[in-house]
Amino acid sequence: MLSPRTFSWLLVALLVACFGLAARLEPQFQFMRLDAAREAWVLDLHSDLRPLYLSRATGDFFNVALGDSRRMFANEFFVKADEYYHSGYYPSIFDDNTAFKTAHMAADTGAVADKNRGDEHGFLGPTRNWIDAFGRHFFPNRHTHLDEGGADDLSGSDDVREILPWLKLSSDLDPDNVQTYTVTAFWLRKRMNNVPEAEAVLHEGLRNCPGSYEILFELGCLDYESHHDRERARNVWEEGVRQWRKAYPHLSPEEQKDSQYVMEALTTHLAKLEQDNGNLQQAVQWLQEALPVSEVPAVIQTNINELKYKIGLEFLPQLKPLY
Amino acid sequence: MTTIVRMEKLRVEYRSREMRQATKVALCGLDLEVGAGEVFGFLGPNGAGKTTTMNVLLGFVPPTSGTASLFGIDVRQPIARQRIGYLPELTYYYKFLTAEELLRFYARIFGLSRADANRRIPELLKLVELEPAAKRPIKSYSKGMQQRVGLAQALINNPDLLVLDEPTSGLDPLGRMKVREIIQRLKNEGKTVFFSSHELGEVESVCDRVAIIHQGELKAVGRVAEITGRHTNLEQAFLAIVGYPLQPAP
Amino acid sequence: MNNISAVAGIVIKELYRRKDFYVLFIVTILICLVMASINIYNDAHIVRYLKEICLDLIWVSTLVIAVTTTARQIPAERENRTLLPLLAKPLTRVQLLLGKFLGCWLACGLALLCFYIFFGALAASREHHWSVLNYFQAGILHWFLLGIVVAFALLGSLIFAAPSSNATICFVIIGGILFVGRNLDRVALGLGAVGRNLVLALYFALPHLEFYDLRDLVVHNWPTVPWTYFCLALLYAALYMAVFLIAACLVFRRKAVN
Repeated sequence: MLSPRTFSWLLVALLVACFGLAARLEPQFQFMRLDAAREAWVLDLHSDLRPLYLSRATGDFFNVALGDSRRMFANEFFVKADEYYHSGYYPSIFDDNTAFKTAHMAADTGAVADKNRGDEHGFLGPTRNWIDAFGRHFFPNRHTHLDEGGADDLSGSDDVREILPWLKLSSDLDPDNVQTYTVTAFWLRKRMNNVPEAEAVLHEGLRNCPGSYEILFELGCLDYESHHDRERARNVWEEGVRQWRKAYPHLSPEEQKDSQYVMEALTTHLAKLEQDNGNLQQAVQWLQEALPVSEVPAVIQTNINELKYKIGLEFLPQLKPLY
Repeated sequence: MTTIVRMEKLRVEYRSREMRQATKVALCGLDLEVGAGEVFGFLGPNGAGKTTTMNVLLGFVPPTSGTASLFGIDVRQPIARQRIGYLPELTYYYKFLTAEELLRFYARIFGLSRADANRRIPELLKLVELEPAAKRPIKSYSKGMQQRVGLAQALINNPDLLVLDEPTSGLDPLGRMKVREIIQRLKNEGKTVFFSSHELGEVESVCDRVAIIHQGELKAVGRVAEITGRHTNLEQAFLAIVGYPLQPAP
Repeated sequence: MNNISAVAGIVIKELYRRKDFYVLFIVTILICLVMASINIYNDAHIVRYLKEICLDLIWVSTLVIAVTTTARQIPAERENRTLLPLLAKPLTRVQLLLGKFLGCWLACGLALLCFYIFFGALAASREHHWSVLNYFQAGILHWFLLGIVVAFALLGSLIFAAPSSNATICFVIIGGILFVGRNLDRVALGLGAVGRNLVLALYFALPHLEFYDLRDLVVHNWPTVPWTYFCLALLYAALYMAVFLIAACLVFRRKAVN
């Protein structure tokens, strides 16, 4: 007959074993539940990556330790990066945070659409009482962006580097989040002039998120603007367009809306590249691809018309004047 | 003779928190005086009210009625304790301090100047034979050493009245002899000693006067010889006074 | 004053002879050094995450030191019977209490000084400048917050017999005030009439400890707090310390010590 103490220890050991086994098996279970279309897409494109995908899904430390909750932590750290972007001026759960639904630090990267329509300057609102009025002197109460200098108002500074640790942690915890790679690479390249690191981040993103058109777009920008390698940039952007066309039908309506912004960026950048190379016809074709997905089709159409006019002018010397 | 300790109709009641339990009377109408230069023994069985009496004198417990004073000052005034030294029954001191640091701390409480403290502390450590261990933390001391530290702290301010609660409790014979010597020395210096003890043989040998208390009431007070009276010794007298039936001689 | 400072001196001696402070200090240093050694995209100038982690650790450590040191003062004196020989001296209970408060508060201040010196060195190693005024304001306000905590824990130690229960309650209340205190009035708006009044009363009665949390300002290099508001915050803290200490004195006067 077991003593109560022994029985209690056995029970504890059993519970630990059960939870440990559940944590160990959870990733396999998640993999098996993958959306059929997405699974087919991933395996069809990158069958050689399948073992890697499996090993990443099952063997990663964070995955084993935290399971699905790692995505929750990753999201928190991504928000933390946005908070750092605002030098601590950020709404709590009690404040009106409608203006901060999307991370501002990502707004300029081209990776996501700028959804912010609210007045991010005044989430605090008017003072409610003397305690609130007094307390506002003891925490950040002014809206700033790090890439514009932050609280120090040192315009053009590279203080935006301060968001990088949280982005790195976020990407480590959730390797499937494309936005983390694009935002990190954007700031590394644009502000820190750290092109090698930016490229490494994007390649890591492609390994973890194969076929991501957002990452391909950023990689193309890196090749075009930093390496000045137009051929390579063109190849990468065209691959991005192909991946977007493959993925678009399988996306939800909300995701389709977001992805159109990326497609617009891809096609307009390709158009500009062809324009710089002197291939105006090709540039017009790319702009016409951009028309259906653009939020400002009138501007695109104007650009198309201008290019067509230029194309026309090329042939003008061959025309004999009527008069 | 100047009266150092005076208690008049001292009554202490402890109210029970339970509704059904009656109030406990620890002292009922105690009248007692101790004169200057006396060695006064305060005797009684366990639970008689000895410690309660001392707690009142030291200001730990307020009396329910009656008065108590030290050197003519009400015991509730902190200044009344300026000229007394107290050795509790169970001696515990700050374990992380050394004996020297402890004595220096208490010296500062008494308002001794640094020079006076520097002179007095080595004297006391020598008196209680703790010089070699003065710089060791008290947590490393034996029971006897801790008792001696207690004695030293009770004497730090060169008190005119020494209140000792069972000073020889837990000491070996050598330790007890040392305590008796110190009490005798204080008596020779004209100090007043008020102490409680169960060692009636010691009380008989050092005390000038004794008082016997039982169930909160003063049963007898007077010189040792008066109390002993026709009994063989103080122990016999004590047992008779508290009502313990004496066995007839075989 | 002499008695009060004598008792305070004993408390400070106890702090630096116990292991608590050294363990917490070394753990803080180790964690910060490990964090500092992480390679983040080969950029050696990233510093704010390090400052935040360091300050968070300092806050946790000093709160632990303040609460645990204070919560055991009077109960330990009573349990170890060191209270009786102490009160047998010409020392009033009020002096003893004030001495304990002063000792715990000064001990926290010394611990805070060590932590902030380390923090300053760590930040300066990457930023290559010292925001002395910012650190000064942050340190002093932090110290005054710990003064409120110490006074509160001292009052709790006279009400709750066990130091562990007092410490737990203190941590819960202080944590609650730091996280939610600023927004209690907004929480109140969502409640019924009775609940709203109660929560609002709590909002105005509780000490607003968020005034003393300048971590965000220090981490993100904001300018200093206006000195008028800084002094008013110190006064606010002093008032609450006085309230808790007066309550403690009133409770202790009637408490049995044997």
